[in-house]
Amino acid sequence: MAKINQTVRRETLYIAAWTLVLSLLMEAVFLIGGWWDYTVLLGNLLSAVVAVGNFLLLGLTVQKATGMDEEKRSKSFMQLSMMGRLALMFGAAALGALLPCFNIWATLIPLFSPRIAIFARPLFDRKPKD
Amino acid sequence: MELAIGIILGCCALGAGLAMIAGIGPGIGEGHAVAKACEAIGRQPECKGDVTTTMLMGCAVAETTGLYALVIAILLIFVAPGQLVDILKTALGQ
Repeated sequence: MAKINQTVRRETLYIAAWTLVLSLLMEAVFLIGGWWDYTVLLGNLLSAVVAVGNFLLLGLTVQKATGMDEEKRSKSFMQLSMMGRLALMFGAAALGALLPCFNIWATLIPLFSPRIAIFARPLFDRKPKD
Repeated sequence: MELAIGIILGCCALGAGLAMIAGIGPGIGEGHAVAKACEAIGRQPECKGDVTTTMLMGCAVAETTGLYALVIAILLIFVAPGQLVDILKTALGQ
């Protein structure tokens, strides 16, 4: 197995932390709304793991693709990886929709956590600009 | 009644398939981004870390479009048919 790049590891940890925070927030909303049961927790767990795993796979793909010499090969490798990861997410979301032990909304919402984390990044990024 | 239910199910499946067309865009976009990143790293190898971080975030953002399509497709396949059939049955008084 290839060694995980420092950048990829750092960004994945950042996304994982945000996913955890947003998952807790979602659980709290479900609890306050009176819709909470074990299916929400299971759906959230499944989805959070898939969201972070998807980001890690994206990072590993980027790491491998940027190390390739041929532009064309890296492009097709990235496209193939994208389709694979989309299929993985489709599988997880379908599992959440089909199995009664998962709440469908609790399965779908955390998939967007990485996007929210990236959106919130400039608010916490205090690196001085040149 | 069966015909109406069949039309609803067919339209939902068609809609889900059409929604997933949006999944093609991010794949092409990410491919282009990586190709250009390779070019940039080849030109300036010392910027590899910065290029990787920026591209990683860009790819994750680009992927969200596909994710929206995926969620719409999942809802159209698994949630919408049941609800629409219920609405139809209520409207017809069955």
